[in-house]
Order: sequence, then structure tokens, then C-alpha cells
Amino acid sequence: MTTLFLLVPVALPVLGALVYLVFGWRPATAWVSAASAAGVLAAAILIAVEVAAGPRTAIAGLLRVDALSAFMLIVIGAVALLATAATPAHLRAEIDAGRATARTAARHSVLVQLFLAAMALAVSAADLGVLWIAVEATTIVTAFLVGQRRTRSAVEAAWKYVVICSTGIALALLGTILLNYAAQHTPATAGLDWAGLVASAHTLDPGVTRIAVALLVIGFGTKAGLAPLHAWLPDAHSQAPAPVSALMSGVLLSVAFYAVLRVKVIADAALGTGFTRILLVIMALASLLLAASLLLAQRDYKRMLAYSSIEHMGLLALAAAVGGPLAMAAALLHVLGHGLAKGVLFLSAGRILQTTGTSRIERVRGLAARQPLLAGCVGFGVLALIGLPPFSVFASELGIARAGFASGLGPVTAAALLVVLVIAAALIAHTSRMLLGSPPEGPGAATAVPRLPVTAGTALVAGLVVCAAIGVSAGPLSALLHLAAEILTGTR
Amino acid sequence: MSDTTYTQLLDLACGGLLLTAVLVLWRRELAVIIRVFALQGVALAALVGVLAARESSVELGAVAVGLLVLRAGVLPWLLYRALVGAGPALRETRPLVNVAASLLAAAVLALLAYAVAQPLVALAPAPATHAVPVGLTVVLIGFFVLVTRRRALSQLVGFLLLDNGITAIGFLTTSGIGLLVELGVSLDVLLAVLVLQILTTRMRETFGEADLDELRELHD
Amino acid sequence: MSALGVVGGVLQPLLVAAGAPLLVGVTRQVRARLEGRAGPGVGQPWRDLRKLLRKEAITPRGTSEVFRLAPLVLVATTLVVAVVVPFVTTDSALDPVADLFAVVALLALGTVAVALAGLDTGTAFGGMGASREMTIIALVEPTLLVAIFALSVRVGSTNLASIVASTLHDPARVISPVSLLAAVALIVVIVAETGRLPVDNPATHLELTMVHEAMVLEYAGPDLALVELASAMRLTVFLGLLANLFLPWGIATTATALAVLGGVLAFALKVTLLGAVLAVGEVFLAKLRLFRVPELLAGSFLLALLAVAASFFLA
Repeated sequence: MTTLFLLVPVALPVLGALVYLVFGWRPATAWVSAASAAGVLAAAILIAVEVAAGPRTAIAGLLRVDALSAFMLIVIGAVALLATAATPAHLRAEIDAGRATARTAARHSVLVQLFLAAMALAVSAADLGVLWIAVEATTIVTAFLVGQRRTRSAVEAAWKYVVICSTGIALALLGTILLNYAAQHTPATAGLDWAGLVASAHTLDPGVTRIAVALLVIGFGTKAGLAPLHAWLPDAHSQAPAPVSALMSGVLLSVAFYAVLRVKVIADAALGTGFTRILLVIMALASLLLAASLLLAQRDYKRMLAYSSIEHMGLLALAAAVGGPLAMAAALLHVLGHGLAKGVLFLSAGRILQTTGTSRIERVRGLAARQPLLAGCVGFGVLALIGLPPFSVFASELGIARAGFASGLGPVTAAALLVVLVIAAALIAHTSRMLLGSPPEGPGAATAVPRLPVTAGTALVAGLVVCAAIGVSAGPLSALLHLAAEILTGTR
Repeated sequence: MSDTTYTQLLDLACGGLLLTAVLVLWRRELAVIIRVFALQGVALAALVGVLAARESSVELGAVAVGLLVLRAGVLPWLLYRALVGAGPALRETRPLVNVAASLLAAAVLALLAYAVAQPLVALAPAPATHAVPVGLTVVLIGFFVLVTRRRALSQLVGFLLLDNGITAIGFLTTSGIGLLVELGVSLDVLLAVLVLQILTTRMRETFGEADLDELRELHD
Repeated sequence: MSALGVVGGVLQPLLVAAGAPLLVGVTRQVRARLEGRAGPGVGQPWRDLRKLLRKEAITPRGTSEVFRLAPLVLVATTLVVAVVVPFVTTDSALDPVADLFAVVALLALGTVAVALAGLDTGTAFGGMGASREMTIIALVEPTLLVAIFALSVRVGSTNLASIVASTLHDPARVISPVSLLAAVALIVVIVAETGRLPVDNPATHLELTMVHEAMVLEYAGPDLALVELASAMRLTVFLGLLANLFLPWGIATTATALAVLGGVLAFALKVTLLGAVLAVGEVFLAKLRLFRVPELLAGSFLLALLAVAASFFLA
């Protein structure tokens, strides 16, 4: 396999974007999006097999893929395939309802493809600078996707999204610059590339590195939806079109968190584990508490899902704070499980919004009686999200909790689990109100609900099945997870 | 270039950066603020130009010219276009914190920047790194403007101020972080500003005016 | 006390006292020409003073000694400052007094004396003017101190003569950020302290806007002449201070006749130029609303503080 193969996950979506740019959105091109996502997933799996032997670099050392990057590529590919498989049905329903035109659909598809390319570039970048550029590019590309509907609330969400995320990410740029400064003054004058930074991490000046790491963690933490700069997340995720929400919540947050994890490896080697641990514990607990307090009385189901994303990012931050091979492997598994479950849920939520016309929880009644398949996906999706077996979130949360109690962060882990329990109760209460009960009566309630298109239904069910399957046995993934966890603990 | 002239010119450019940052906080008329922002772009380009002359680096000189075009030309022009589109009622900023208090806050921020930047100066003491607290002050003032201004356009200026400060720190510490990354960063910033400008226009269309107090649709 | 100091100590107060009304005349003439008027000529302030001095001295009923002494205190403090500050010569007649803090305190004393006189009249205007003046001075004095202090940090002395001498010795210092920030701060406070636009309008007697004029509204005859002369001298002193702190060239460093003559001419030229610039600026400025004045002054205070900070940071 040539090293150019590493380019495929970035190049394929760019090609997809070009196709949409030239041919527009029409029945013939409707599935190009899904095909490119499937290609990314296939390439990611092949790359994962390849890098088991060791990291590979491409184009003059600009790209560097190791087991961790390969795993993230798989997550991107899997969730993207899920989201893009449901996209044609979503767009067709929007066009039928007069909320979109073929032009909007074409622009949507171009931007989603570029979004995928930017995320793939972010995780396969060999250095911190390129990673930063790619993460900022995701903000720019998704800004118009968030504001696609052009309503007051959509424009407001887009504005908040760009301002807060760009500011947060600007802090990360400052951190990058300072880390570069520290790296220039090591004996090896390492640049910003991961390998060089990790190798010379112990010679980095601690004073400068401390400032740089704090800025990087807070900056990329903003993009990952961690408190204190989380305010954009519920607005953006609830206003974006369903497939975009699925991608943003399922993968974009994790890609930003991937940056935090990479920085943590360097910080741990340069400063010891204490510094990032305190930082991450504070951010994790703040995010969890915030999500819990706003979930209890939540009245909008898309915002409910968005706050649940903040909760899961908080759990990931906790896992990162715990450190160690078990916690790291569990965190990565959690990224995949959460991505799939949240993807399914956001796509289902989009479908509910299209058929009921409201995003208020109390106005959706008796979904189980009217749309059994959709209701089943929502129900099982929420069960997957709160971590019931056999779904993989159960396994990963268990892993994080075990590692947490073993590592001396017992009280923090216990508090986090308590909050997670409260959130689970809130999610179940809200969802059961939507699913159960008798269908609302009144004018218009008797009209037949359009059936869930087969393709979208298949995608949703497949997402849940995969999520459950990984929960039962990670299979070949476990070797990859093991390797990635070794990279994250600095032992490899 | 002799050591003292180099230090003098470098410090002068930094003084210009600081002065323009304070002026942005000080003045209310958006047209004036945009002009001051353009001046800051000139100061930033001059800073990089001085570093280029010091190191006799053609590449850095080209970066300085690029910065001049982007920060003192293109970005102020974009801001100005957004301002012209706005109605006459929107020509002044409406700060959440009154100007006198925000100026005093800026004084505190300057001291904070100095305290925080100590390890940065200590790593490699040189005239350039001695000026890092100035860049950090500009970053903090930009952040302050971003947080305390209600007009969409003033927030945009705050964001750009933040960015100017970060760029200044970048060049003061290590003469940049590689041409490719530098280009990518500049492109990203330009695109972000373009996106924000388009959103400002859309906000004016949907909300009537780009006053962020009107952003009350989404909340919990 | 050197010979140069004695020469300066005699020449400077004479020059300031004689030249101050002419400086006011120049600013008024420049303004008049820019506004398209013929203007009364440069000598008009002196003619006004002569007229006022010939008049009978009158004080309002019910005023105390404070009212009568205030003009004298104002003139006396300004004269002392004119003696000690290095305007024409680098040496000072009373070297220990040529200190940053002493000079600022002397100038503030004069302002406070006039404000007390304004209160002493017991009229509404006097009290209003005094309260406004106190608001302004509360922000002006710290800025003045901090700005000049920023310049003295690198010299290591608060003696004005040594600050000027060191700038002469090392001209490159003028284009440092410390000088830049301190200069902007000083210009703003000098405009405020001398009651010029946009803080106060010296040409108005409109009750809503006047500050300085409100305090001295009750003065007439020779007392008014003293007050007018003193305000003109304060303007000269401040402009001279600004000129010599940042552009000290031409100042006499030796006691030869030629050097001293050069010093006198250079000083007159610099101050006249600054006065003309001030007048040109006033044509284009509108008066600031009173409650916006603290914003302006807080800004200049911040700049002065940043100047001090920069003098430590960038050292």
C-alpha cells in the first residue's frame, strides 16, 4: 500500500464536494454523499490494519496516521455513513415541505462533504498547526449548515456558534504558538509535529508549557463543548439540519476532544499528570453538572440531545483526567458508541420534527402508536445513550468508572456517576413522555403519517445494531483500541 | 541594523499595537474604530517588517507585506462594507460596561498580562520576547471587547483584535510557525470574518438590526 | 546653584509672563483666521490686560480673603513653576524644587485656590464651576503624575532637569513606546487642565458648559487681569513642559549668551507652534458632554499607566 492511500479519507469527500458543485443535487447524485462516506470508512479500516505495525506518514510528513488516528477515522467514517445514508430521505422531505430547494440541498451536500474532509484532515494531521487549521475549517464550513434554515433562531445559533467557537479556537492557536516557542528552545528544536513533540516533551520549559497546555485544553475544549465555553452547543445542535446535528454531535465534538487527548500526552510528559488532571476534572464536573441541571426541566427534544452530548463530553474529559490504558481505551470506545447512538437519535429527532412540526417534548405524544419503527429507534437509542447493556456505552462507562476508582479519583468518579444517573432518569422521563400515551386528538391529527423511508430506517436500525454488537464484543477493534490507548498513555 | 535601533523600532511598533487597542476601547464611533483597527494592522505589519529586516529574511518580509494587505486593507474594508450596510442608528457601539470602567479594566488586564507572561520572557530573554506582554495585553483587551460589546460589528472587531494580538505573540516568540501553517491560519481568519460578515447581514435581514440584545430566541 | 541656573531662573519667569498673553493672542488669531474672521491681532490679550489693570478693584459683597488671595496664589505658583522648570536652560535655579511631584503640586495648588474662590462667592455659577473643576482635576493630577513618572523611570530620577538632560543625551528615546504613550496621555490632560476644547471652551459664557469661566465669573478689574494672566501663563507652562519633555532640542546647556539666546528662541518657537496646533485642533473639535469627560480622562490615565508599565516591561 502506498503512503498516498492515507490521503483517501481526505481526498474522497473533496471529490464528493466537487461532484455536487458541478452536478448539483439530483436523484443521480443523491447517493454520492453516502458512497464517499462508505469509502472513507473502508479506507479507514484498511489504514487501521496497515498502521498496526507502526505509524505511517505521507506528503512530506504533513500527514501522519497512527492507531489513534486510524481509530478516529473509523469513527468519522461510521457516523458519516450513518448520517449520509439518512440524508437523501431528509432532504427530499424538506424539499417536499417547501423548506428547501434543490439548490439548498446541493449546497448542503457540498458543505457536508467538505466538513468530512476537514475532520479527516484534523485526525490525520502530523502536526498541531495543521490540526488547528482543520478544526477551525470545520467551524467555517458548518456555520452555514447551522444557519441553513435562515430563521431568526437559526441565524442566531449560527452567529453564536461562529463567535464562540472561533474565539475558543483562537485561544488554542495562542497555545499552539506558545508550545511551538517552547519546542524551539529544546535541545532538539522540535517543531509542532506530534512525534517530535512527544520525543522532546521532557525538555520543554515547564512554565511556558503550562500556559500553552491550559490554553490548548480550554480552546479545543470549547470546540468539544466542554464547560465553561459550551454556550454555542445546544443552540447550534438544535438548529442545524438533522444529519448535520448527527455529525456535529457524533464526531465533531470527538475530533476536538482528540486534539485535547494529543495535547495531554505531551503535557503529561512535560509537566507530570497532575496539571492536566486538575484542569480536566474541573471541566468534566462543570460540564456534567451543567448538563444535568439543564436536562431536568428541558422542554425541547433536540436541545435535550445536545445537553446529553455535553454530558458525554464531560465523561470523556473525566476519562482523560483518570488516564491509564483502561480509561483511555474506554474513552475511545465511548467516542464510537456515543457517536453511533447520538447519530441515530439526532436523525430520528429530525424525522420527528419533520412529521410533527414541533420540537417541543410535550407536543409530541404517542409516537409509539403512530410511528412504531421511529419510536423504537428513539427508545433503543436513548437506552444505548444512558448506558444500558448490551450497548457499547455500557462497557465504556463501566471501564471509565473502574479506572476512575482504581486511580485515586474515587470521589470525583462517584460524583460523576451520580450525576450520570440523574441525567439518565431525566432522559428516560422525557423520552417516555414522547413515546407513550395516546396520540393527540384534534384537527389534522387523523391524517396518515408518512412512512419512514426504507433507507433511513435501515440506517437507523443498523446504527443501533452496530452499537450493540460492539458492546457485546469489540472483536478486531480491541487490538486497535489497545494500540491507541498505548499511544495515549505515552508508552508507545 | 544596530541593536538599539532594532529595539527602538520593535518597541515602537508594540507601542502602536497597544495604543490602537486602547483606542478601540475608548472610542464609540464604529467608523473610527475600524480606522483604528486598520492602523493596528499597519503596526502589526511594521512589527513583522522590523523582525524581517533584523533577520534579513525575504520570506518574513513577504509575510509582512501579506499581513499589511490583509490586516490593514482587506479586513477593515470588509468591516467598513458591513458598517455602510447598517443604518445610521448603528454607527455607535453600545458597551455593556461604560467606557471609563472598561478603560480601568484594561489597565488591570495589562498588569495581568505582564504577570502571566513572566515565564514566556524568562525562557529566552531578548528584545522581542520582552514585548510579549504587549501582545498578550492586546489579546486580553480583544477578549474584553468581544465580551462587553453588544453590536455585532464591535464583537467582530474584538475578535480581530484578539487575533492581531495572537499573531503578534507568534512573531515575537518564534518569527512565525512555518509558512504553510501561517497561510492556513490567515486563510481561516479571513474566512471566519467573511462568514461573520454574511451572518451580520442575515441578522439585519431577520432581526431588523444587528444588535445582539435581540438574540433572545434560544435559551433555557 | 550654577550661573546657568541663575540665568534660567531670571529669564524664564520674565519670558513666560511677557509671552503668555501673546501666546493666547496667537491661538485666538489662528482660530479667527481658520474660521474666516479677521481676528483682533496678537496683541489683543495684552491690551485687554492693560484695560483691566487700570480699572478700580471691586470685590463682591460677602466674599472673604480667600476670594482676594486666590489670584495672587495662582500667579505666584505659576511663576515659581516658571522659575524652576527647565524651559530655556537645563539647569534650574532652585534645583530641589524642579521635581516632578513639587511642580505638579504647585500647579494643583493654584487650581484649588481658584476653585475655593469660586465657592467663596456663594453664587450658583461659582459653585458649579468649582465642582466641575474638582471632578476634572481629580482625574487630571494622577494622570499627570503617572505620565511624567513613566518618563522618569528610565532616568532614575524625578528631577525634571535630569529627565530633559537625559533625553538630550539620548535622542532615540523619543521614539520609544513609553514616550509615545506618555505623550498622548499628557496632551489629553494638558488640554483638560488648561480648559481648552473638547473639555472646556475658553470662549464661552454659556452657563451649561463653562467650567473655568464659571469660577472666575465674579472677578473684575485688576483681579480679573491677574486671573487672565495666570491662566495664560499656565497654558504656556504646560505647553513648554510638553515641548521640553519630548523635544528638548535647542535648550541652553551652557551659560554663553548665544546659547541662552538660542534657548529663548527655541522655547518661544516650540510653544508658539504647539499653541497654533492647539488652536487648529480646536477648530475641528466640538465640546464633549460633561459626563463624557471622565471617559476621556480615564483613557489618558490608562495610557499613562501603560507607559509606566512599558517602561518596566520593555526595559
